[in-house]
Amino acid sequence: MLLEQLMNGLGQGAIYALMSIGYALIFGVVGLVTFVHGDVIMLGAFTAYYSFAYLGSSLLPALLLGFLVSDGMGFFIHRVCYDRFFNSPRQISLICTIGMGMFLRNLVQVAAGAESKGIPSTFGSGAVQLAGLRITYKQIFIFAVVLALVLVLTVFLNKTRVGMSLKSVSMDKTASALVGIDTRRTTTMGNMIGCALAGVAGVLLAVYYGTITPTMGGNIGMKAFCCAVLGGVSSVGGAAVGGLLIGVCENLGIMVFSAGMRDTVSFLLLIAVLLIKPEGLFVRRSR
Amino acid sequence: MKGMKRSLALILAMAVALMCAAGCAAGGDKASQPPSAASTAPTQQGGAGDEAKDPIRIGLSTPITGSFAENGIGTQAAVEMAVEEINAKGGINGRLVELEIQDSKSDATQAAQIATMFTEDSSILAEIGDFASGACIAAAPIYQEAGMVQLSPTASNPDYTLQGDCMFSIFGKTTDEGRFIADYLLKKYMGAQNVGVIYVNSDWGVEAYDILSGCCQDNGVNIVASETFFEGEKDFNAILTKVRQTNPDTVMLMMGYDSGAVAIKQIRQMDWDVKVGISGLAYSEQLITLGGADCEGVLSEIGFVIDETNPEMMAFATEFEKRTGFAPNMMMTCAYDAMNMLAQAIENCGDDVDRASVRDALAALEGFEGLTGPKTFNEDRTITQRNFKIVTIQDGAWKVLTDSDYID
Repeated sequence: MLLEQLMNGLGQGAIYALMSIGYALIFGVVGLVTFVHGDVIMLGAFTAYYSFAYLGSSLLPALLLGFLVSDGMGFFIHRVCYDRFFNSPRQISLICTIGMGMFLRNLVQVAAGAESKGIPSTFGSGAVQLAGLRITYKQIFIFAVVLALVLVLTVFLNKTRVGMSLKSVSMDKTASALVGIDTRRTTTMGNMIGCALAGVAGVLLAVYYGTITPTMGGNIGMKAFCCAVLGGVSSVGGAAVGGLLIGVCENLGIMVFSAGMRDTVSFLLLIAVLLIKPEGLFVRRSR
Repeated sequence: MKGMKRSLALILAMAVALMCAAGCAAGGDKASQPPSAASTAPTQQGGAGDEAKDPIRIGLSTPITGSFAENGIGTQAAVEMAVEEINAKGGINGRLVELEIQDSKSDATQAAQIATMFTEDSSILAEIGDFASGACIAAAPIYQEAGMVQLSPTASNPDYTLQGDCMFSIFGKTTDEGRFIADYLLKKYMGAQNVGVIYVNSDWGVEAYDILSGCCQDNGVNIVASETFFEGEKDFNAILTKVRQTNPDTVMLMMGYDSGAVAIKQIRQMDWDVKVGISGLAYSEQLITLGGADCEGVLSEIGFVIDETNPEMMAFATEFEKRTGFAPNMMMTCAYDAMNMLAQAIENCGDDVDRASVRDALAALEGFEGLTGPKTFNEDRTITQRNFKIVTIQDGAWKVLTDSDYID
């Protein structure tokens, strides 16, 4: 029972992790919370829905399309919400992201209808038994996708020139500009990658839950924010652990209390961590 | 270049503003766009020689968007159809009927705001709605204070009509349904001995569960697990894992089609060989659309099915489907009945039509035969529902099990 709930938690936590890694990346390069993240995730989920409807039940096109559509959306969001406002008061970008979130939500409602959509089950009830523990193919698939993306991202951030300039910009924008990094291109890039990860997370959520609605973004964006803050907002690794942690705690919370306590457990955890270590779990205290 | 960028930004800003407006329109304003009934009202005023009479205005509060959108859209269509039929026959005592429709999203706060709006508009005589018991109860004090009838086609929580003597419901009570689920669906048809119940944490869900567990105690069916969740839950894995530990032979889902489809899918994906029953609230085409093949064999109960031998009902169902693209369910048909009952009551008022007289006439209305059965109010302004049937999903469609019965 405990192990099975742990698996449930890790499955969900892996998706949370992907959402919050994207969040942390965006926060890193723009230095500001974003309120459009949940709706980008929703967009990814709807891309998956249409991919399944028109391109068959194969997962690869859904993942690819989810990645590309939200990647493009990341570019669009950057141009509309951030690009012109880097030297303006910060709340302007913030409000722009709120507006962009509304825009996406309503766009999807108008285009796809306000009602819930069902996602065909691709995995059926298949599972592997491992020492009495049941791991479904769906969970394995989610772990595999998330792990692969995290690995690629790690290599990208640490080994490539673009990735390193991304890290540099998230540490200090002015200094990066002084050493010759094109900060505009880099922040755009950061936003696009962050959004693309959110889009893939949306595809995974759609597959994992089985139904989606245009208004699902609000709560989910909040969760991504929570996980990222828990791990230390701009720390990519921290965000991943934060996501897993919240996923597991929620499911253990349901085991001990009830499903109504799901959000209570995750937010209590967040508050507790913020009280003890306000900068997040995985950020070294600077100065 | 710079000018181009500026104009691009401008266009985008306008697009955002437009979309927001469109979003609101899908919510509130869609409702106030003149329904076909309302638009006919001013044109064919009165008969020959009659002076122009004011229309009779009725408020309709129903979830046109949100989790219960299908029911709300269906309710709106059904009530509009009733109004058009009434107006085609010359209205009520020579006065045409006009609807004021608002989208409540089945949300308690929204329903209460709509109640304030309706009651403050002195031209509105009575209200039909809301969909969920919770929303009805939230709006009840406002209607009660204004002395305006709140006639819910669908609220089944017994507490609802106890909120005041202006509260009416014609759906039957959860108590009737709970007894039927316990005695017939679970015990007789599913042969359940150990049941795991998962119910939605809403006014309706908690009440329905309390009644069901009471009835199960009486008839010897064991409830081995009971779990609850909040509306909008998408992940039932943790709950289901917990319920599965108690080893039930049957899982009973007390929830709407939205959550129901998710829960059923996740039960199947767990490779869990268990019988699944779901409350009549989920009886909807949407359950099959969302749940797909996973829903096959799920059992449910419903107090109403379209009787193909009844020409009046078939006429209603055909016209309804033409307008909405889906078949009417009990809730939508009750909305049609509600409008006709209200019209009958207003007609009985004669010339003395105000909010108070409509209330009294509705309470006193006897012998009304609706499409969903005979409707005469009990002492507590509810109807006792007796015509339950057991239904199941076969080959992607709801089927009535013919050997089902309900003996009072």
